Amino acid sequence: MASNEAAAEREERLKSALWYAIGQFVDDECINRNLNATPRFIGALTELVYTQIANTSRDLETFSKHGGRRVINTDDVMLLTRRNEGLEEVLKKELDRLRAEEGRGADAQPKKRGRPSGAGVAKGKGKAKQ
Amino acid sequence: MPPKTINPPKRKGPAFKPPRPVNATKPTATKRASATTAARAAGVTKKATTSRQNAQQATTIISSSESEDQGEAPREDSDRDELMDDASDDEPRDHQPAPAQATQTSPIPSQLLNRLLHENFEDEGTQIQKGAMNLVEKYMDIFVREAIARADVERRAAAKEGGIMDGFLHVEDLEKLAPQLVLDF
Repeated sequence: MASNEAAAEREERLKSALWYAIGQFVDDECINRNLNATPRFIGALTELVYTQIANTSRDLETFSKHGGRRVINTDDVMLLTRRNEGLEEVLKKELDRLRAEEGRGADAQPKKRGRPSGAGVAKGKGKAKQ
Repeated sequence: MPPKTINPPKRKGPAFKPPRPVNATKPTATKRASATTAARAAGVTKKATTSRQNAQQATTIISSSESEDQGEAPREDSDRDELMDDASDDEPRDHQPAPAQATQTSPIPSQLLNRLLHENFEDEGTQIQKGAMNLVEKYMDIFVREAIARADVERRAAAKEGGIMDGFLHVEDLEKLAPQLVLDF
């Protein structure tokens, strides 16, 4: 029971943090677009984004498990876009850009290695995956 | 591969921006415009086109203070599109590395997103690569931007049907777009 409550409270706090971040972003965006957003809109958008993140993380986990890995790599993320070509294109460009920023080729090949986050992605000379 | 060759036709789709000066944030705006337009290409192109019409009609209705812009609005608009096309070829290379800008424009701080993802993993041991994390960030960034852009379209549509025209995004707008948005992502 106590752990349930603790989990619920943690979720609430995370949602609040997300709410704040989304609120800031919506405000910025609204200034650019000469708009306004009701507080309820921001709250609803927060819920939507929170749910989307939850689904995304479960998807990613499933994808990497399916690939026999415990570490999610960029291929798994690209699978998220399998039903939306436009989105796939955008993310692919972003992926290329990120790799270019890394400045040393790309890893791409699902040779997963238990790299702790914080280390660079790129390693090895493999060229663009897929 | 050069970005230009892939989607010139898509980029022709109207950006969701009303024809107003974009001032200092221009490079960012450019980036976003092309990103959203491309992302939308999968299914909502038609919608986007209507939105342009709505946008112009909305300008005509909204208020007397904006009536001066009316005559110029379409021309400015087409100018802007060209500017954006040019800019998006050169500028990303110059501007994207600027970290200040990147953090400024991301809706969800990466640490928070990281935490949220890990909270939702069923297996505690699941990890995520840094590069994959950056990509998820971009993904959520697009998601949020899409939500706002589409809400704006819904708002204009509602205003056109004689609803409230207060320039506010309402929950109702979000409710209308949510199903398609979630299907698209």
